[in-house]
Amino acid sequence: MRVPLSWLREFVPVPEDPAALIDRLAMLGFGHEPVEWVGEEAVLDLEVASNRPDLLSVLGVAREVAAAWEREVTPPAFMLRRSTSRAGAAADVAVEDPEGCPRYTAHVITGVRVGTSPDWMVGRLEASGIRSINNVVDVTNYVMLEQGQPLHAFDLDRLAGARIIVRRARPGERVVTLDGVDRALDPEMLAIADAERAVAVAGVMGGADTEIGASTSRVLLEAAAFHGPQARRTARRLGLRTESSARFERSLDPRGVLDAAHRAAALIAEVAGGQTLAGAIDVYPHPAPPTVITLRLPRIARVLGLEVPEDAVAAILHRLGCRVTRRGRRLTVTVPAGRVDLEREEDLIEEVARHYGYDRIPEAMPVEALQAGRAAAVLEAEAFGRDVLIRGGLDEAVTLSLISPDILDRLGVAADDAARRLVQLQNPLLADHTHLRSMILPGLLDAVRVNLSHRVEDVHLFEIGRVFHAATGGVAHEVEERRALGIAMHGRLARGWNLPAEASDVTFFHLKGLLEELTAELRVGISVEAAAVPWLHPGRSARLLADGAEIGMFGELHPAAAERFDLTGRVHVAEINLEALLRRATLARRFEPLPRYPSVDRDLAVFVPAEMPQAEVRRVIRQAGGPLLETVDLFDVYTGPQAPAGQRSLAYALQFRAPDRTLTAEEADAALSRIHDALRSTLGATPRA
Amino acid sequence: MQDEIARLRQEAEHDVVVAETAGALEEVRRIYLGRRGRLAVLFDRLPQLPESERRAAGQALNEVRAQIEERFRRRAAVVAGRDRSAQLEQERLDVTLPGWHRHLGRRHILSRTVEEVQEIFIRMGFDLVDGTEVETDECNFEHLNIPRDHPARDTMDTFYISDELLLRTHTTVVDARVMRGRRPPMRVLTAGRCYRRDVVDATHMPVFHQVDGFMVGEGITFADLKGVLIAFAREMFGPEARVRFQPSYFPFTEPSAEVAVWFNGIWLELGGCGMFHPRVLEMAGIDPERYTAFAFGGFGDRVVMARYGIPDIRLFWENDLRLLRQF
Repeated sequence: MRVPLSWLREFVPVPEDPAALIDRLAMLGFGHEPVEWVGEEAVLDLEVASNRPDLLSVLGVAREVAAAWEREVTPPAFMLRRSTSRAGAAADVAVEDPEGCPRYTAHVITGVRVGTSPDWMVGRLEASGIRSINNVVDVTNYVMLEQGQPLHAFDLDRLAGARIIVRRARPGERVVTLDGVDRALDPEMLAIADAERAVAVAGVMGGADTEIGASTSRVLLEAAAFHGPQARRTARRLGLRTESSARFERSLDPRGVLDAAHRAAALIAEVAGGQTLAGAIDVYPHPAPPTVITLRLPRIARVLGLEVPEDAVAAILHRLGCRVTRRGRRLTVTVPAGRVDLEREEDLIEEVARHYGYDRIPEAMPVEALQAGRAAAVLEAEAFGRDVLIRGGLDEAVTLSLISPDILDRLGVAADDAARRLVQLQNPLLADHTHLRSMILPGLLDAVRVNLSHRVEDVHLFEIGRVFHAATGGVAHEVEERRALGIAMHGRLARGWNLPAEASDVTFFHLKGLLEELTAELRVGISVEAAAVPWLHPGRSARLLADGAEIGMFGELHPAAAERFDLTGRVHVAEINLEALLRRATLARRFEPLPRYPSVDRDLAVFVPAEMPQAEVRRVIRQAGGPLLETVDLFDVYTGPQAPAGQRSLAYALQFRAPDRTLTAEEADAALSRIHDALRSTLGATPRA
Repeated sequence: MQDEIARLRQEAEHDVVVAETAGALEEVRRIYLGRRGRLAVLFDRLPQLPESERRAAGQALNEVRAQIEERFRRRAAVVAGRDRSAQLEQERLDVTLPGWHRHLGRRHILSRTVEEVQEIFIRMGFDLVDGTEVETDECNFEHLNIPRDHPARDTMDTFYISDELLLRTHTTVVDARVMRGRRPPMRVLTAGRCYRRDVVDATHMPVFHQVDGFMVGEGITFADLKGVLIAFAREMFGPEARVRFQPSYFPFTEPSAEVAVWFNGIWLELGGCGMFHPRVLEMAGIDPERYTAFAFGGFGDRVVMARYGIPDIRLFWENDLRLLRQF
């Protein structure tokens, strides 16, 4: 709300220096832009919250300033002379939708001479950001700015039947508004119509046909109250936002309507001549009684934590225009017209706090805030997991959850993959941000590319975030939201002069090791199987399972996918359903006694067919080894010249231990022998010498 | 015999002294002290001596043996020490060569700061709860006293998925949910992503982070709100932190305030706060006559920017490690 300082000063004495005024207003809760200077005029630009329509007027701001500085407001002085003819004889008003229009008043002014407005009016209008049209229209805008009540002037002679009908627009009805645009209306919207057709969009904008022109001599001056939410809906549907609609949408008080109309009529007579007919037409079927609120003084202290002296409370409310009577510890407060934001006790308490000063409220520490709180289990588990990944050498990334679906094409996700069930936004802002992400990985790959393009080497990223899928099943628009983990690794894990690449480049098994560490820390048992995933290298792609359920995929990114993301070199990636993982996690720890008896160690090396998965061999070893077999540690995979054709050797370090006695070498040898037998009979393995 | 013994001792001492290496020394030991060494040979001749000389000779041999062994031990220590020194010298490194680095991971500056904020409030007794990013219009707005077509919705341009589902515009929505599910007293904190249809620029992104907290109890006042937020500011910005509460407007709090902290020569806006509007409590099934509540929210990306001097919010989302590794 732009307020020229000189205009404000007409109603209330203000400090010379705008800065002091602004500082104080800020302490009262009014945000503002820097003071502007229009010529020699200082103009304040105040932020007005949506619950204070009264402040969209110079008088409203003046009242606030008066309350703050303990001054009196001098309202504009005017005299309204009326003729003896009655308005009701010259025009007629019918309100068919009283809910949409709680009050409609019409003044009739005859014999006006439409022309230019006086300089002082034009100056104030322009300083407030409104351009001058003609004297009659300018008065309506001027009084709107002054009092906060939007007004509209119709050329009475262009209103068919000299009638105003306030009704819902008919289907297909159209009106050309003041800006020259031919607009389609619908029955959701409230229209001002004459006996024949719609002539204005109620609360939003007048019509071109009935606007005040050079030949106008009789004016019908509308001052009304319209249903706020409906006015807002209508304005939005038409794509309009006017000074009128901005005020009406905040639900103006119907009680302030007549005062503004009188002021405007008097001003029209002053600048354009003319006579106001006696009696206004006032359709006000359900006059709103003034709002009366009971304010319990003890409640102020309960809410604020401060005892505000009773006299101060009454004085503040009084300065704000309330009528206050006191009985014991209760105040009966009658709210002034225009303060639609004051509805209940709490609203008055806020006014008292604002004007008394928030800085006078002390600081206290609630008793309950003395012992530490706890985090929800899933958040603790998430933090735990995040920690493991960071210790493992990954940097956390944060990528956007809004995506474009082609990102899944770039990755190479299959058409029938669950990740294709994207959730779409109804009203996206950018073409790149039309859907919610169903995977973390694509955004992460873009982040890798950004880093590579800046010559950052060794980029190892992870992100824990939410992914979204359109739910299957009957209900449309249901969304499944869950946590996911994405990993992308590119480059070396360690760097140093003379450090060979083979020792430090990330490999499939580094990534697998990291995932094994993560799941081990979360105490979730997992298994890994080869899998066919279109976006992974076909020979280096795996599925991660927990309890036989698939919880993720990982491996080396398919070179074609890497190309589509502009990535050179090998990229190792993972996409994990973190929700499923955390659900199975155990964070609680208990001491497990350390072993009391020494282990007996044996090595075992066998030749097996090269394509046989290692997991098979391990499984047989475990099974045959029995409970005494404590650890099975693969330490060598040999495919060299000593291996028979089509075979490779796997060598394991085995540790046998009994919990209750020292195992003998014979017992260990016997177990080893059983293992060898099982390997030979089940898998056809041959021992390696 | 005595002459031989004396001569043996002299030669042994000499040979020990001139032995330079462990190998040479071992050879000397073998010659003199070995099973078929010179001392052993003399010992073997003892029975052939006349009785009168035998004892004296035996004693002398034992003495000599002890002396040779002593000499030998000492010399062995010296030689070993010298050998080790040589070895260590060979292992000398140029310590000014650069170190080898194993990659260490770190948290993203945004989530680390959010975590820091969370920690401070957890220490003050707030329980941390989870929320969802997809929410209902009802929870995000109506339960917070923002009915449909209320002008306050203009301040939060919303992404809609359907007429009922949207992407939450603030984390305060979680407050409303939690209040329904718990009995007072309660003190709860939540954090996470929020979404608004904002035009992207240096201080606006459609996706951003917020922290929200609230406390419901029988005697909770605005003074308590001030106390908690000032305590927070002192933890986060130092014990001298100055905090300012300016009146403001939110549909779900009354009175409402904007809280800022004096930082690096400006008032840094932390977020909004206030006493939960009685209607919000009523809708959550909490009796506003018996209970009062305060709430605060914000403390997100822009605070992180100001704290670390990051000029553009978009930098957080690029994940350029040259930036992230500065923190």
